[in-house]
Amino acid sequence: MTDSAPEFSLAVGDRVVYPNQGVCRVFNVDTHEVAGQKLTFVSMRREEDGAVVMVPTTKVQSIGLRKLASHDQVAKLFTFLSSDSDKADLDWKQRARTNVDRMTQGGIHGLAEVVKGLQVLSELRPLPTKERELYDNARHLLVSEIAASLSISECDAEDAIDFVLSPPGKERPKRTAEEFKQPSAADEGLELGSDLEALGGELELPPDEEAEPAEAESAEGEEAVEAEAEEEETPSARRPKKAGAKKGAPANGHPGAKRERAKSKPKAAEPSKAKAEPKARAAKLSAAKPDVKSKRKHSASRPAKATARRKK
Amino acid sequence: MIRLLTLDDYDPKQIEKLCNALYTAFGVGCESAKVPMPSGVGDPVDARKLLDQVQTVRAYADDKLLYLLHKRLKDRELPSGTVPTHGYAWYGKDRAVVTTHGVKNLEEGLKRVTRSAMHQLGHLWDLHHCLDPRCSMYPPWTPSFANGEPIFCTFDREKSEQKIRLAKS
Repeated sequence: MTDSAPEFSLAVGDRVVYPNQGVCRVFNVDTHEVAGQKLTFVSMRREEDGAVVMVPTTKVQSIGLRKLASHDQVAKLFTFLSSDSDKADLDWKQRARTNVDRMTQGGIHGLAEVVKGLQVLSELRPLPTKERELYDNARHLLVSEIAASLSISECDAEDAIDFVLSPPGKERPKRTAEEFKQPSAADEGLELGSDLEALGGELELPPDEEAEPAEAESAEGEEAVEAEAEEEETPSARRPKKAGAKKGAPANGHPGAKRERAKSKPKAAEPSKAKAEPKARAAKLSAAKPDVKSKRKHSASRPAKATARRKK
Repeated sequence: MIRLLTLDDYDPKQIEKLCNALYTAFGVGCESAKVPMPSGVGDPVDARKLLDQVQTVRAYADDKLLYLLHKRLKDRELPSGTVPTHGYAWYGKDRAVVTTHGVKNLEEGLKRVTRSAMHQLGHLWDLHHCLDPRCSMYPPWTPSFANGEPIFCTFDREKSEQKIRLAKS
């Protein structure tokens, strides 16, 4: 393996920023033999606690190692922090993905974006635990980098940041959900409908599972409603929603089975209120999209197959 | 251990009350003592200089020293502007200073002084400024800070407890 030359060269004494770790100082650059290959390693020590990190020179760029922010970059950062905030993303999944990217590859500006974005979001509602931790990490990295870059104490760096984020004499504003709403909400609803349609078309129940207890299903349906209400849940909390949708889908695309259930268990038909909304959406969609109609035809042909199998 | 070191004269009863409040907040013992004010720190006092020059009293390596004085602290010139200074701390290290300037009677203003003391001690245990206005780590120059209760939010309380648990002594 040959070492390709990195875009910026590192020498002993250089101060660099390791993504998600903080400010480090290079103390050695030498060659080690690893598994029969000679590799050049950059050894650095984290300034905060003295932890040692060794990085092959070939990986320096790909891990996002960068030089300490310059004075100009820090000045721009303060301008950004003091500017009017853009609206935070209300979709937790999208937000988490963006924030992770910003933390690893966004440089000092990325850290500032995470801090500012989460601060704006906290003006709407308290941050969930994971995001509170992320906010704290981002703030810690930002403070230590600014302190190292401007050669000031961390307390001063933190006060400098907060001086622009929450100026003296002013309380933080309280925001409403309307401020964060995006215009494409209607499109999202359509997407969800098509998703349900697709699920309905794909699922096929074996004949002996047709009369599954509907109570379990209704419980899932309720969970789905709850999950919808709490938008800010963790991914694990979101999973039941999908499972509920999947289990609920055969009822949509399987009218025969539904009828049987209704006959055998009259009470079980009641809790399917939760399904009424997706059904309505699906109906809307089928009216709007001709290609989805064809899917529905396909799904409608499934019960015929199932009855044929039963006859056999 | 928290060591509350007074640089000016205070009523011992009030200081004891403050020690008790800090003990309740952090679950760490708190003792008080009086140390002389270093010369050449100016008036208003330059907090950075003060912490550099002031005498230390220490029994254990992890002791946190909190200096209390009545004089006003000088506003700090920072890259983003001039910040009003009610206290100052060496972040993640061992010493901090809090002023009681503006508090006529420590008995009446004890809540406010305790909140400021908790804020600076929080910095010594690596706590950053908080988003919750009820938390003592909320930026101290905001209007609601002085009227708040001396408490931490759940996140900061857990973080400080974790740091204290990891202390060597």
